[in-house]
Amino acid sequence: MSSSLVWYLREFARVEWIKKFLFAKTAPLVTPTHFRGFPEPTGKTCTHALFCMMACPAPGAIEVVHAGDGWIPKIHKGHCIRCGLCVEACPNGVLKSGRIRETMEREGTSLLFSFRIAIDTELCTGCGNCCTACPVNKQADAQMGAGGHSSNDDVIMRVQEGDIVVIHEDKCTGCKTCEVSCPNGAIRIARILEGYQQPVQEGF
Amino acid sequence: MNILQWIKNKVRSRSIHVAYVDVGSCNGCDIEVLACLAPRYDIEQYGIFVHNNPREADVLLVIGAYTPGWEEKLAMVWDKIPSPKAAITIGNCPISGCLFDRKGSFVDPPVKKHIPIAAEVPGCPPRPTEILQAILSVRDTVFSDWEEEHP
Repeated sequence: MSSSLVWYLREFARVEWIKKFLFAKTAPLVTPTHFRGFPEPTGKTCTHALFCMMACPAPGAIEVVHAGDGWIPKIHKGHCIRCGLCVEACPNGVLKSGRIRETMEREGTSLLFSFRIAIDTELCTGCGNCCTACPVNKQADAQMGAGGHSSNDDVIMRVQEGDIVVIHEDKCTGCKTCEVSCPNGAIRIARILEGYQQPVQEGF
Repeated sequence: MNILQWIKNKVRSRSIHVAYVDVGSCNGCDIEVLACLAPRYDIEQYGIFVHNNPREADVLLVIGAYTPGWEEKLAMVWDKIPSPKAAITIGNCPISGCLFDRKGSFVDPPVKKHIPIAAEVPGCPPRPTEILQAILSVRDTVFSDWEEEHP
């Protein structure tokens, strides 16, 4: 009993023990590199497809803004929830966050946007506002005037005999300018986000 | 700097009492604040104690997007805290309303409009380390030499 007491007294009188008792701290925590942070630019060129903004679930979290000659996605802290969908949806790999890009490359996954144009023929008056507002149409046929008539076959949609006809749905970029310009709300653009995975090779 | 102030600074830097108030969030940030108490992050080793009593608090952690039910109550809680005091918002909701700030919702962010905020921690939810860093940075700027700056 007495020897045990002496042992305890000696143990607690050690400088190291007193130091540990008073000043012990857990090691400073470092955030592991695979944690998803706020997305950062990788330095690749942004082509202004805006898929990051379309995929983003948080309102006002990402914006593609002018930077010199080109574009750059800007993340707003306080809005961004660090889900990393913009990183996955970007077709050019402009953004990076954690190890999302590495995982996508390894597993062959990708998020692809496609767009469907739906026109309610009951509401459509054939005014052609959507055809003239569409920026892709403007590139394909600069001569398209009010009314939306065009002899060019490269346009997404045009007015033929008072009715609107969609020719190239695949060219749609999903900007929804036509929706905004439609006086009747007759045209709707569906943005479809699909996840793809390349088949894994045999033996893996 | 007199010796009394030096002692006060020393003591205050090791004794921070925290009250947290949830003004309408999804509870994700509350769980991250609770994770700070867990042994892995352990905020008590920095002398930060969670009391949830504004009368004895130094730091108020505000969580959530400010629902109408808090219209006068949050300012009341803030007034109850004795000086020196600081309020820190945790998460996206007090900054922007995050996912709740949509058309037709009744939330009224940012919380900055209603009480003075010393620091904001963005994230949905922010990590416990980020919350910890915010509290520690506020400690150094707000609480040291408080009597000398506010005679």
